[in-house]
Parts: sequence; structure tokens; C-alpha cells
Amino acid sequence: MNTLPQQLANGLLLGSMYGLIAIGYTMVYGIVQLINFAHGEIFMTGAFGALTVYAYILPHGTSMWAAVPLMLIGGAIVAVLVAVGAERFAYRPLRQAPRLAPLITAIGLSLALQEVVRNFYPGADKARSFPSLDTTHDLGAVTIKDADIFLIIAAIVCMSSLAYFVRKSRTGRAMQATAQDPDTAQLMGIDTNRIIVIAFAIGGLFAAVAAVSYGLKYGNVDYRMGFLMGLKAFTAAVLGGIGNIYGAMLGGVVLGIAETLASAYINNIPGMQQLGGQSWANVWAFCLLILVLLLRPQGLLGERVADRA
Amino acid sequence: MTDTTKTPTPENTAPATTAPRGPLPLPTAAARALLLAGGLATLASTFLAWTWTSEFPGDLTVYGYPGGLQWLTFTAGLLTTLFTLASYQVRGLRWLLPAGNNTPLLLTAVGAFGVTWFTILAIAIELGGLVNLEPGGWIAAVASLLPLLGALALPPATATSGTGSTGGTKETIKAYVAKPEHIPAAQPLNGWAQRLIITAVTALGLAVFTYGIDTEYGELFIGYLIVVVFAVWALHTAGLLDRFSRLVAANRGFTLAMGFAAAIAFPFTQTDDHYANIGVNILIFGTVALGLNIVVGLAGLLDLGYVAFLGVGAYTAALVSGSEFSKFSGVQFPFWAAALTGMAASLVFGVLIGAPTLRLRGDYLAIVTLGFGEIFRIAVNNMDGQSGPDVTNGPNGIPSIPDLKLFGFNFGNPHDLGGFTLGRFANYYLLMVLIMAIVVLVYTRAADSRIGRSWIAIREDETAATAMGINGFRVKLIAFALGASLAGLAGTVSAHVTYSVVPTPYQFAGSTPPNSAFLLAAVVLGGMGTVAGPLLGAALLYLLPEKLDFLQDKSLLAFGIALILLMRFRPEGIIANRRRQLEFHETGQLDIPDTPTLTGEPAVTTKAGA
Amino acid sequence: MRQRSLVILTSVLTTGALTLTACGSRDNSGDKSGDGSGTTLTIGVDAPLSGENSTTGLGIQYGVQIAVDDANKNNWVPGVKFKVKALDDKAQPANGQSNATALVGDGTVVGAVGPLNSGVAQSMQQVFASANMVQISPSNTNPELTQGKNWQTKKTRPYKTYFRTATTDANQGGFAAQYAAQGLKKKKAFVVDDKQTYGSGLAKIFAEKFKSYGGTVVGTDHVNTGDKDFGSLVTKIKNSKADLLYYGGQYDESSLITKQLKDAGVKIPLFGGDGMFASTYIDVAGKAAEGDLATSVGVPADTLPAAKQFIQTYKSKGYKGDYAAYGAYAYDAASAIIKAVKAVKDANGGKLPSDIKTDLRAKVVDEVQKSDFEGITGKVAFDQYGDTTNKQLTVYQVVNGKWKAVKTGTYNG
Repeated sequence: MNTLPQQLANGLLLGSMYGLIAIGYTMVYGIVQLINFAHGEIFMTGAFGALTVYAYILPHGTSMWAAVPLMLIGGAIVAVLVAVGAERFAYRPLRQAPRLAPLITAIGLSLALQEVVRNFYPGADKARSFPSLDTTHDLGAVTIKDADIFLIIAAIVCMSSLAYFVRKSRTGRAMQATAQDPDTAQLMGIDTNRIIVIAFAIGGLFAAVAAVSYGLKYGNVDYRMGFLMGLKAFTAAVLGGIGNIYGAMLGGVVLGIAETLASAYINNIPGMQQLGGQSWANVWAFCLLILVLLLRPQGLLGERVADRA
Repeated sequence: MTDTTKTPTPENTAPATTAPRGPLPLPTAAARALLLAGGLATLASTFLAWTWTSEFPGDLTVYGYPGGLQWLTFTAGLLTTLFTLASYQVRGLRWLLPAGNNTPLLLTAVGAFGVTWFTILAIAIELGGLVNLEPGGWIAAVASLLPLLGALALPPATATSGTGSTGGTKETIKAYVAKPEHIPAAQPLNGWAQRLIITAVTALGLAVFTYGIDTEYGELFIGYLIVVVFAVWALHTAGLLDRFSRLVAANRGFTLAMGFAAAIAFPFTQTDDHYANIGVNILIFGTVALGLNIVVGLAGLLDLGYVAFLGVGAYTAALVSGSEFSKFSGVQFPFWAAALTGMAASLVFGVLIGAPTLRLRGDYLAIVTLGFGEIFRIAVNNMDGQSGPDVTNGPNGIPSIPDLKLFGFNFGNPHDLGGFTLGRFANYYLLMVLIMAIVVLVYTRAADSRIGRSWIAIREDETAATAMGINGFRVKLIAFALGASLAGLAGTVSAHVTYSVVPTPYQFAGSTPPNSAFLLAAVVLGGMGTVAGPLLGAALLYLLPEKLDFLQDKSLLAFGIALILLMRFRPEGIIANRRRQLEFHETGQLDIPDTPTLTGEPAVTTKAGA
Repeated sequence: MRQRSLVILTSVLTTGALTLTACGSRDNSGDKSGDGSGTTLTIGVDAPLSGENSTTGLGIQYGVQIAVDDANKNNWVPGVKFKVKALDDKAQPANGQSNATALVGDGTVVGAVGPLNSGVAQSMQQVFASANMVQISPSNTNPELTQGKNWQTKKTRPYKTYFRTATTDANQGGFAAQYAAQGLKKKKAFVVDDKQTYGSGLAKIFAEKFKSYGGTVVGTDHVNTGDKDFGSLVTKIKNSKADLLYYGGQYDESSLITKQLKDAGVKIPLFGGDGMFASTYIDVAGKAAEGDLATSVGVPADTLPAAKQFIQTYKSKGYKGDYAAYGAYAYDAASAIIKAVKAVKDANGGKLPSDIKTDLRAKVVDEVQKSDFEGITGKVAFDQYGDTTNKQLTVYQVVNGKWKAVKTGTYNG
């Protein structure tokens, strides 16, 4: 049986999730040059926001058709609030501070958010089960389930509406302007603070969408789910060219597929039997990243940015 | 004469009618008297019982002498009293307030208030209610409030600047805790007196530091932090730290020697090897942080996978240690050879990872180093012959690493030295002091050299530096390789200290040091580009999670919040680099309120050395 | 905070009289033994109490706490009260070692229970050995810890102060393989582990034994702890046509794997060790867990009244953490230390040796070695390597959303 189509599908699905989270990294970075390491935790709080809606607000036995949109809203509210709150109270006061100070804040924030959820969300010291969409569809070489379809549709809808928003709307163009040159943008009458808040909010929104997809796909959420996903998403953002929203999605998909293929096939290569399997997948993913950066230092879709560091 | 005592800088203030006052409507003389009385009352209250049961740690049930947290209240109360007396111009204490400002009074009063009320609240919360307070506790609570009220009734020191009376709350607070612009120079002292002062301060620093490490329960450590932070802040605003740093600047070598003497003295003050164990862990962590400081602080390269170099050193040392679990179990290098091998291995990895990637700029380098760190951890976790080549024994790691032997001196056995018993960890502690001395030497020499200046130039503006003829790539590679080999050196010792190496500590972020995120935090928190900063940051980051144990499963939450707050109020690090500081003065730093800015860098070299 | 005040309240009540008399003196560091009536000894606990592994670690802490409460309530050692000093190692070797030195330095500590992770144990063993203080781990399964590097060929005990109430991977993996091959009649197993000491050891031994019972291992893979997506792995398993998946590791990953496996239409059971024998596994995996199996040490808890009592106490006290994995072993480990103290006291003419650090600790080590009593996981006794002699193992299967014992026996392979 040829497993390649299935493995590609696995990679695409995983990668779409990375991509959705990576949007948050890339937008914030593009505008304020800040690596928001706590973004993975924003993703996590979004998942718990959605879980709250399902487990505590909706009556038991609500149909998933009604529940999923409401969970999306609940997750989005929480994730956006956390993201915007982090910007307002943790990052904004540090805007003039040394470049590394916000990084440490982000590490502290990430730890604090995890611990808040673990300590104060009922039952969150262990994984909590999340309603999942498990109906499977056999499409010949590929088997996918409802949650996968939801994820793909969500990713496409999110990406295209974001692209439209950034290109066509007034605010979107203001964002582009701020990303290019914050000072000039400000002189042109753009409220940069507002733009930054919007960037964080969009990041939170997309993270919430990713979080709901995650929950529907894997059937559980836990307080640590954000850490690794965040790290991967950041990698994806850099891979695609940080600052570029299409790059984030592309980077996510490339990373997801690379990981899956590495995990599936490397140990079939003669001489590398021992270097394959899932435990080495991250190594190959990072090797790919390093390789891409060496050949194309600005990332897959990044533009050559003059000396931003 | 009375006028001058009331307002220390009378010539600058407006006449009496608009005389600056604190937020509390009290005559200045009464306020000062309140301060003094409150300070003395606070002192006295520590001799009373605060609670009825010894269940609260430290046993605060004794009449007649202070104990546990009461000692901290006592110290803070004493400082308040001394500063108040100094503001009364009492002969022999006037040196405490060279600028004659009121800020130190307020800060010490806040410190005393903070630690006392923290204790009272801790008693009430832990024992379940205010009923657990003895009258002594109530007296202490009231007594420690008095100086605070008094201090708030005094005019802020910098009311002279003209903004004081009309500004918002933020401005008022700022005015209250600001350091005066000008601190009168001290009378010149002769060399011996200078050295005597430095020695005394070093001894005091050692005592304070030792007390912090030895705090047996978290409540005491929190109280200790409150007192130390406010006391140091008070000394700073009083101008004493500036004066001291001038002394240090004049006696650099002597201070450094004293610092190391204090570091060496630490294990001799300990009866329990546990604290030497903490000490050696802090030193390992601090040494690695100092190595990272070359990369991040001097050369400005963001390295998120630095802990891997510590791991390379540790694994190398373990492999050649002669442990039966090592792949090369027959090989047993003497320590100097193992240390050099560890350094060399780290150096090779540093160059291997640096050479291709250092051409990348800024944050791209960050993600590549992060990737490298993860690759290292995953690789050592898999190289057990099952899912990878058989090198590192995989998740089981390499246990049973024998103790070091140097010149017939077995580090594993306790040794008696001049009446003091030095346990196993004390031995390693002393070895680490030696290694740290080497690292400090390398660091300061490198920083002051041509290459160090190139690093700083690159950090500030790479394009300009390259235009000036600096080979950016070569210089950055040297920083990377040097930093890596120093971490490798620390790693070789750490392998022997913990008897085993396993992959788990070498991760990007975790809840306990060393990991790459914590190392970076130690550097940034302590102060980039300084020697003492990363060491102080490392000590703080090691001790905080350790001592916050009493918060149980909330300890990590508290730690995360502490990181956020520290960065919020002190983004340039606890010990800020002079150069950086000047930058901040230029840009005005409007978003950063009320923190003092200039802590003399050399002054704290002593403290962290202790 | 709530636990703390509870603990404090209990100890306040039990030691009320003592407190009043001790009012005058502040210095209570150690020399309290000797006078029979008012001795308080400490049992140290080292486990990850915060962060990643804390759920399991807290189960160990409160397992010991319940044992100590029982000892105090039922007066197991007349005239001696016990208390718990729990230290957090955050699953890191350096922290575990630092905790070990802290426990050794505390003059009231007679023995320690812990740690959770084998990797942490390696850095602690030598510290306890030097201090001659007993250490009993409720969860370390790596055979090397007690039987030396070459445990498969020539067993030698490296540290005589180290014991464990958990069984080694060798027993559990073998028992599982035997049941899979002979009980379930499975032929083709796919073996996965999480690259941790416990999991990889277990998986390795399972694979070896499964082959020796005539089965074939059609594929192996390794995952990382913290992984969430196992799509690639599941496709591989599906393609391998395996009829059993053996997983060495904890429930965190195995519950996700079994769910993703069954969602992909691969209806084969997942078989694991005691690391996944917890209700959380079923909670997370839901219906997908049905039919999955796990081995665990000892006889089923519901056949022993003492174990039922333990679980009830744990729940009624509202302790955090998960008792299911190692709580009961921790209880037995603490009991072994407490009973050893009693034995020392009885042998010494009803008095405790006056010097805890040099005398009592060493004697407790000897008495722990001689332990022989009925604990809540079965018989508690140690062999010449410090391993539990309780070779009773039980295979559990998820039936109707509950773990159900399907086979109990001993492994001699």
C-alpha cells in the first residue's frame, strides 16, 4: 500500500495548524520586531476558552453544527483578550526598552499563562477531553475525518480573508505602512498603537481558530499544548519569511510535510535506519530550516529586509 | 539650624508658604519624629511574640529576642532609625545621607513596613486567621506603619525640580524615589581607610548573600528579598553606592581580590553541605550565563540554544570520565585533559553551528540556535544504539561518573581544613570558584581588548562597524566560539557534580535552570554586558524557584509573574551597563517610571563575587 | 495553600502538647530523639511537584502523606510521630541532588521516598549512600539502578541504600509479552516508546520477549514526550498490518495515540505499562480506549481493602495529583521506612538510637532490607538488590470505560 498520499495529507493538516498559529508570530514581528514567545500560550488559552463554552455554557448534547461556531467565538474572545492584554500590560511598557527585555517578558508570560490555566481551570492539571469530529471519510488512498476538513476550510477562509483585509481595507494598508516604517506611518496620521493592538488581536483570533481545530482533531487539550506548537509555528514563520503572512502559511505547510515525511520515510533510506522515526522528525525539520536560511536568508517568501536587528 | 534640618536643600526650595510637603498633612518636625519613634517601636516590637504557635516557620513566639522573619524586620527598622538619625544630623551618622535627601528614609520605611506586614499576613493566611496574632504582632504592624506615614509627610527630595507639586500621582511617586542629581563628593580618605571600607562592605555582602542562600523556608526568603531590595535602593538613592563605586574604581584589583576571597570564604561559613550544593549549582549556572553574556551582551548575538554547549561539555566529560556506562568506559582522562576536551568539543560545535549561520542577521540567528539546541537534546536522547548511533546511552544518560581527583585530592570525600570540614560539594564549589575566576578573567580581558571593542561596535551597528573595517563574521565567530568553550568548561564540572548526565536539563525552556531561556533571562535580568549582572541574575533565577517552594504548585506562576514584573520595572537589568545607561538617559525612557538608573557597575562586582 | 493549612491543622492537633512545652526554645534542629515520648521524625519526599510531571509527583507526595497520617493516627511506632518533608525536583537531576543533600542535612530525616524519574535517581543515589540513608523509589523501573550495568548477565548492586517498591521493566515487559503472545494470541506487534528511561526500557524488553514467544515485531518507532500529532506514526502502523500496538511510556502520549489510531480506522488494541494505568487515560481517549490493555504491579486494588481505603482517603482529603500511577507504591515505601524505624526501636530496647544521622539511619537501612509486611499493593519485601519481591502483576483491560483486571500472576521468564 502506498502511504505517500496519506502522509502528505497528514503533513498538510499539521502544517495548516502551524500556519494558522504562525500568522500571529509573523504579524506581530512584522510590525514591532518582537518575537512573542507567549503566542503558543495564547493558542492554548483559546483552546480552553472554546472548551469553556462547550463544557460549561452550552447545554449538554448541543449539536456540533451549533456548538462549533459558538466555541470558535468563545475561543476567539479569550485568545484575543489575552493577546491584547499581553500587549497592553506586558509589551507596550517595554517598547523603548532593550530588544531582549520583551523576550524575557514573553518567557515569563508563557510560564505564567500555563500555570494560571493549570492551577485555576478545573481539571486542567491533566489533559481535558474536547469534543471531537471523528467521522472518517475514505477517499481511496487517503482517509480523513471531519475535523481535518474543518481545519482545511478554516485555514483557507482565514488566509484569504486576511489577505483581503490587509490589501484592501484601510486598516490593512495602515498595517502595511506601519510594518514598513513605523515612524513615517505615524507622521502620516496612522495610530500605530492601534495597529499594533490589531496585529496582536488578529494573531489571537487565528490562534483561536487553530486551537479549536486542534481540539476537534485530537479530542483533548492541555495546558502544555501551546509550548511545542508555538515553537513549531515560530519556526514556520521564520521558514516562510518572518513578516510575510503568506510565508507563514507556506512555512507551516512545508514544515508540517517535512516533519511527517521525515518521520515516515527517513528510516527507509539505507544507512539511515536509525535516524528516522518520529523522535528524529524535529531534527530534520530544523535541519531543513537551517538549510533554507543558508540558501535564502530571508526565508521562503521573505523580502530582503535591510538590517532590522 | 532647625530650618536646615527640616528641608535639606533649603536654598533651592521656595519660601515656607509653598514649602514642599508630602501627601500627608503633617508638620515636617512631627513627621521626622514619627519616623524616629516608629523606627524604634518597630525595633522594639521584634522582641515580642507575634504569634502563639511555633507552627509558623521561624518560631515567632518568643518574648525577649527576635527570630526568623523578626530579624528582618529588626534590620529594616534599624536602617530606618539610622537614616532618620542621620537626617537629624546626628554626629557620626551624617555620612549616611551625603545628599541630605528624604528618599532613603521613605525607602527604608517601606522596606520595614513591607517585611513586617508580609510576615503578619503570612501568619494570618497560613495559620488561618488574624486570631493567630499575639499582641506583639499587632504592635509590630502598627509600629512599622508609623515610619511610613512619617516619611510620606516629608517633602520629596527632588521637589526642587519644579514639577513636584503639580504633577500627577506618577510624577509624585517618581519625585519621591528619585536619586538626587548631585551627590557631594566624599572627603578624600587615605588608601588604608579605603581598603578597610571595601573589606567591610565585602564582608557585609558575603553575610547578606550567605543569609539569602541559607534561608530555610520560602517566607524568610521573600522577607529577605523585600529588605534587601529596599535597603539597596535606599543606599543607592542616598548616594552611598555612588560613593562606594568611586572607591572601587580607585581600588579595582583589591576589590576583585576581596570579591574572590569572599567567594572562597562562603563554604567555610556553612555547616551543611546542602548550601554548598546550592552554591556550586549557582556557580555553574552563573559561569555559563557569563559565557552567554559574551555572545549576547557583548557581541549582541541572540543565542537561544546556548545550553547545548553546556551539554556538549558535560557529555564529553562523562564519556571520558571512566564511568562504566560510558561508551569509552576504559578511557579515564585526568581532569585537566577532560576539561580541555570538553572545551574543545564545545568549541568545535560552536564553530560548526556558527560558521554557516553567523552570516544571518538578528532573529534568524535566534531561531537557528534554538534549532541547534533542540537538535542536540533530541540527538543525545536518541543515540543509544536503538534509535541512533550508540554514543550517549539515550535517555538513561551516563550515570556513575566518578568523583574528580586532582593531585591526590579526592573531591568526593570531606576534607578538614583549618578546623573547618569541607564536604563534597564544598570541594566542587571551590573548584568552580577557580573556574569562574578564569571565566571572569577571560571575559574582562576580552571585553577590554581590541576584539571586545569590535564586538560592541558590531552590536551597536553592524553596517557601520563593517564599514570601519571590522570583519564582522570573524569577530562574531570568535565570540560564538569563546562563549561555547566557556560553557563547555562549566559543563565538564557539572557532569562530575551531579554524578550523571542525562538529556533532560538541556532544553530550550523549562521550569528550572539551566535551560536556554533561563540562561538568557539571567543575562538580561542581571544586566547585559556586565560581569556581575549575569552572576547576580543567575543567583536570583536559581534561588527564586528553589525558595518559592512554599507556594507549592503556584511557585512557577509566581516565578513567571516575577519575570514579567522585573522586566517591566528594570528592563535594562539589575546592574545596568554604563554605556547602555547613558543611552537611556539620552532617549529619556518615558515609559520606565520610578526606577533608579545608575548603579555603579564595579560596586556590585564585589557583591556578586561574594 | 489549602493543603498546607490542612497539614498544619492536623499536626497542630496531634502535637499540641509538644508545642506548648517547646515554646521557650526555638532551636529544634534534630536532637529530639531519645526521650521516647515526643520524638518527631521526618520522611523526605522527592518528586516533581510543580510543572510538567507534577500530577504524578503529587500522587507520590500525598501517598506518603497518607501513610504518615495513618502511622500517626494508629500509633504504628509508639512514642514516635512522623511528618513529611516534600521537596520539588522539577524532574531535573541537579534539583533532585540538591534536594537529596537537603534531606541528608536535615537531622530529623530518617529516609526518603522518591524520585519519580530514573534519571533523577542516578544523581541522588550516591548522596544517600554516602549518608547511609535509605531511599525508596515508588516508580523507578530501570533495572540498572539496582542491578548494575550488566544486569542481564551479571547482577551487582551498586548502592545498598537504594530500594524500590516498583517492579523493573524486565518483569513488566516480559509479563506483557507473555500475555500478548499467549493470552491474546497476537502475532504481529508494532512497538513504540517515548524515549524516556521507563518507556524505552519497557518497550525494548517487550520486543525481545515477544519475539521469544514466537511473535514478530513488524515495526518500531520512537516518539518524543510532548508530541501531539501522531498522524505519520498511525499511517505507518496501519500500513504494517500489526495486530497489536505496544507502547512504552506514559498516558499523556498513549491516550492520544490510541485515539488517533482508532480514528484512522485501525482497530487494534494498544498495550502499555503501569505508566498509563490511570483513569486519565480513559478520560482522554474516550471510546477509543475500549479494549486497550495495561500491566500494573500487584494484585487489583479492589481485592485489597487497604488499597480501597487508601483511594478513599486520597479522594476525601481532596489531594491534588494522580494517585493511580504511583500513589500506592509511595504509601508502601513510606510504610516500609516507618516500620523499619519501629523495628530499630524494638531491637534497641524500646528506645530510638540517640544519634539520628550516624546511627538510626544506618539501622533503618538494614531494617528496610528485612522488610516483610502486607502493604496496600501486596507484600512488601526487598531482594538482595533492593528490588521489590512483589512480582505479582496484573493485566488490565478497558471494558465499558473502566479498567478491569483480566489476568493476575507472576512473571518468571
